[in-house]
Amino acid sequence: MRLPRFSRKTLCIPYAVFLVFFVIIPMLVIVLFAFTDKEYHISFDNFIHFFSDPSKLSTIFYSIVIALITTVICLLIAYPIAYILARSTMKKKYIILMLFVLPMWINFVLRVNAIRELFNLLSALPGMEWIESANYFKTVFGMVYDFLPFMILPLYTTMLKIEKSLYEASADLGAGWSATFFRITLPLSVPGIMSGVTMVFLPSMTNYVVSDMLGNAKVTIIGKFISDYFGNDWHMGSMIALVLLIVVFLSTWLTGGFSSEENVRGTNL
Amino acid sequence: MKPRRIASIALAAAFLLPTLSLLTGCTDGETIVLRVYNWEEYIDEGGKGTFIYDELHELDDEGEPVLENGKHVHIESDIVDDDYKAWYEETVGHALSEEGPRILDDFCEWYERTHGQKIRVEYSTFGTNEDMYNEIILGNEYDLLCPSDYMIMKLAAEGRLEKYDASFFDETDPENYYVRNVSPFIAEKFATNGGLKVRKDPDGEDIYWKDYAAGYMWGTTGFVYNPAPKDAAGNPIGIDVEGLLEELDWRVFTDGNFRNKITAKDNVRDTYFAALGVTYQDELNALDRSAEDYTEQLTAIFNATDAETVAEVEPVLMDMKKNVYSFETDTGKSDMVKGTVWLNYAWSGDAVYALDLAESGETEDGEEEETALLNYYVPEAGTNLFFDGWVMPKGVTERGTKEAAEAFVNFLSMPQNAMRNSYYIGYTSVISGEEQEMLDYADYLYGYYPEEEDEAEPVDYDLTYFFLGEGSEERISIPADPVQATCRQLYAQFPTPEVISRCAVMDYYDAEASLKINELWSHVKSESLDAWAIIVLAVTVAAILAFFLFAKFEEKIEIGGKPKKGYTRIKQEDPNRL
Repeated sequence: MRLPRFSRKTLCIPYAVFLVFFVIIPMLVIVLFAFTDKEYHISFDNFIHFFSDPSKLSTIFYSIVIALITTVICLLIAYPIAYILARSTMKKKYIILMLFVLPMWINFVLRVNAIRELFNLLSALPGMEWIESANYFKTVFGMVYDFLPFMILPLYTTMLKIEKSLYEASADLGAGWSATFFRITLPLSVPGIMSGVTMVFLPSMTNYVVSDMLGNAKVTIIGKFISDYFGNDWHMGSMIALVLLIVVFLSTWLTGGFSSEENVRGTNL
Repeated sequence: MKPRRIASIALAAAFLLPTLSLLTGCTDGETIVLRVYNWEEYIDEGGKGTFIYDELHELDDEGEPVLENGKHVHIESDIVDDDYKAWYEETVGHALSEEGPRILDDFCEWYERTHGQKIRVEYSTFGTNEDMYNEIILGNEYDLLCPSDYMIMKLAAEGRLEKYDASFFDETDPENYYVRNVSPFIAEKFATNGGLKVRKDPDGEDIYWKDYAAGYMWGTTGFVYNPAPKDAAGNPIGIDVEGLLEELDWRVFTDGNFRNKITAKDNVRDTYFAALGVTYQDELNALDRSAEDYTEQLTAIFNATDAETVAEVEPVLMDMKKNVYSFETDTGKSDMVKGTVWLNYAWSGDAVYALDLAESGETEDGEEEETALLNYYVPEAGTNLFFDGWVMPKGVTERGTKEAAEAFVNFLSMPQNAMRNSYYIGYTSVISGEEQEMLDYADYLYGYYPEEEDEAEPVDYDLTYFFLGEGSEERISIPADPVQATCRQLYAQFPTPEVISRCAVMDYYDAEASLKINELWSHVKSESLDAWAIIVLAVTVAAILAFFLFAKFEEKIEIGGKPKKGYTRIKQEDPNRL
């Protein structure tokens, strides 16, 4: 008896089934909920309500601002580290890299709790009382701490791939450090920056565990609204989720996340 | 059909098969399956509460228990006999642990013994009433749920609940433990809906809690407070928290003395309730407490959701947001014990837990630490009386599990089991006991019998309302420590009749009110955005969009017009590409 032979097409079926059941159908359900009312009649009320309610718009605005600040700080911290590590000739540099990534292996809620305690301790020091009510500061701090590895890794792998010969050539041609940096390192690490930015920016718009724990739930980001609305109004909750989806889609598309070339997104972890 | 296609279908089927068998593999012929859906940490899970009854009621000479079900009240005593162990191993599948049996296992054993049928409890838990509600409307089938007061009302009004059988309330049947043991005070609240206006179910009949629900736990909301807060260095701050609480009552929420030192709940229902208290404190205090309809008036104020009220409450909520340290779901207790905040708006059961923790000198993580002693305060202007009750969703009759569901409620209503649960979770059971058995429990926990002369005189703590009903001639009380009686665990767990008289239950928000309140909550939780900020936002977004769009389509925009006829423009190689 011959073993059944699977063509490439047959092997795709489970994945296709998975995509249909866990991606496409749920998406359609979200759209359906967003554009219906409680009796499941087609309705644009949620849509109109969302864009006419200042609290939704301001929360989107604040989420974007928090995410932007988080991303910029992450980039500012991660870029030099990645650069130094990638260019260093140290033998055990992967250990240093690992130390930066290590916290990712520890439960996230635990880490956020630990930071919360740390801030409690700090705020007890004389002159540090301001920390107690600095909810936005604490939220951004928590997000940066949490998402930093997602910025370091893509940057590091991209910079590692830059040919040594390019640096040699640039030195041969008499370029100084800054010329080399701005004409070789920076342009060639753009894919890494892009992928790091998307991997930090998008989750920090919705990770409300951080804003709840460190911002004492006085900082509200859009993910919290979605969760709150799913308590008793799935339709509005779906509308917010849909708007967020479109924002995410736009930002991914605009930063070139869908192009197949030079894409290192996701290949680093 | 081509063989290849058959293979692919088979493969797909193979992937789906396990999911199908998961859906159907729930019942087997002889064993009834009872699906119970309860709050997290809301039943005795073994270990903590089992010894209580043992301590209260001694065994007879042969070591035989005096209890109805009670082969196994205390793991270390010889009550757990070999029969029980054998039964346990066979049914549960592993040997009885040192922790002692869970109350669910005991129920299975009891049911099998008294009803002659094997039963298995599928027990699952939820975190909020809304989560539970979502599960129900998604069509998940349970036989017994434990929602709170307002959610029972909502489920009943939507016609999702099955009434208890009339036989369940037959007091002459010795097996009807619930109706025989439930506190007359709770029974009265259930029969009158605690003063709420009567709603209709889809069949047009009046809804009363008593038809749909059997009580489980109850309590009040109030403030856990730190009477002597200290600063970081351990020096007393010298603020009279107690005095301020008495003076300001609900208004501590907006008072500058407690800026960043008070917590509110991160859910709209409880925080809106508190904001109503802050807003209408004067009106609440002005009500005539001896009036016959005082409870109705109080309840009406605490359940107002009309547009005018919402508009008045909104600025108050904004002030509260500025003043509170956090909107918390679970961190309030530990923030209190550590001294981060001085006031925590809490449910009485959680308050008892926080008070116990502070007393034991431990933080929630089990660390020994110097902690402040905490007290409990109930707002003078009136507060919330809440309870959770067992209800049966529609379909239990068809599934044939109604009898078992009712038996489960009856089992939990036996005084010894009510004690176990109550001791384990810290909330107050609705059970008072046919022979006032729960009085033993209250006395065990809080009875005060000073032996030394220099100790404080005990006060007579009146619990008549709970054990005999509000209008009773007889009187029931326990001797209590004066401090316990005014602001400690006893006061939280068994409120005084005076506290009870100024309590209001919560109604559910109908669709219209729900919309308004949700909007209010999102206003409160979000930051306000000025008009100029919106303009700046719009311009920035437009600019970023334009920049990226330009960058993206730059290549495609042809510069210098169309090429001449006969010519084609060759795309220049990207000079940056390496």
